[in-house]
Amino acid sequence: MAGNRKMIYMSLLVACGVALHLVENLIPVPFPVPGAKLGLANIISLLAIALYGTKEGLQVNILRCLIGALMGGSMSSLLYSLSGAVSSTLMMGMAYRYFKNIFSLVGISIIGGVTHNIAQVTVASLVLSTFGLYSYLPFLMVVGLLTGIFTGFAAVFTRDNLAVNLSRLETTGKKEMKP
Amino acid sequence: MLKRGDKILIASILLFAVAIFTGFQIYGFSGGRTYAVIEVDGRQYQKISLGSDGPKLQLKVPGVQGELILEIDRDRVRVVSADCPDKDCVRQGWASRPGQMLVCLPNRVVVKIESDRSSGELDGVSF
Repeated sequence: MAGNRKMIYMSLLVACGVALHLVENLIPVPFPVPGAKLGLANIISLLAIALYGTKEGLQVNILRCLIGALMGGSMSSLLYSLSGAVSSTLMMGMAYRYFKNIFSLVGISIIGGVTHNIAQVTVASLVLSTFGLYSYLPFLMVVGLLTGIFTGFAAVFTRDNLAVNLSRLETTGKKEMKP
Repeated sequence: MLKRGDKILIASILLFAVAIFTGFQIYGFSGGRTYAVIEVDGRQYQKISLGSDGPKLQLKVPGVQGELILEIDRDRVRVVSADCPDKDCVRQGWASRPGQMLVCLPNRVVVKIESDRSSGELDGVSF
């Protein structure tokens, strides 16, 4: 039972992630730095890490990237988003596991945002074989910092609400089961 | 809601970004030399090496119709005056980055800024 419940919640997270991924593609980027975006789907990977753990976070995030690319993206965008997602999820998972006392979810989200952008620049400069792209790195780091703060706060609010509602769901579920 | 570690993290990332940025500004990323290539009527007339140790001079270039006076100031070039009716080349101002161009159509004079690195800066990247 518990396994099924976890699987359902994780697939709900993937679905939310895909939706955010697609919505994010529709938002125009106000500044001309390539690769800068809001990273709304980061909220979902943070939640998966906070609720379940690094492995589950990775599963949710990779699935989200694959489905998102199938529904609206290209092979190259898949490459960029997958590399960013995997590295940022790994970093966030490690930070959550070992430095939970030092950083709040906001700090972990910042780590994820910045790592995501660094990984993307690295992959992009490997693909295009020009290391001149690294001159964008300072801007992308600041962008990652700001979007990380934003998605971090969003994740904190979502987690707190979700924790209340999930526990309510579980207790009502149990009450209905008993008789 | 922010913990102390978060604030330290934010400050250190900002510092790091500023450090990388100033590093790039000071040392420059391309590292390669830039040249001003002057072409008259499609043929190369002169190639001048630019940079912080570049020359500071004025140069007369014979065009097809008349004469142009170029000014080279270390790492940038401009057209000071030209024997043409529209003076578009004068109005283009300074050129210093690889890929920039000063053009005088009536005199068929083109001043291109080139870099010795084959692939210079990217025009755009699609994600």
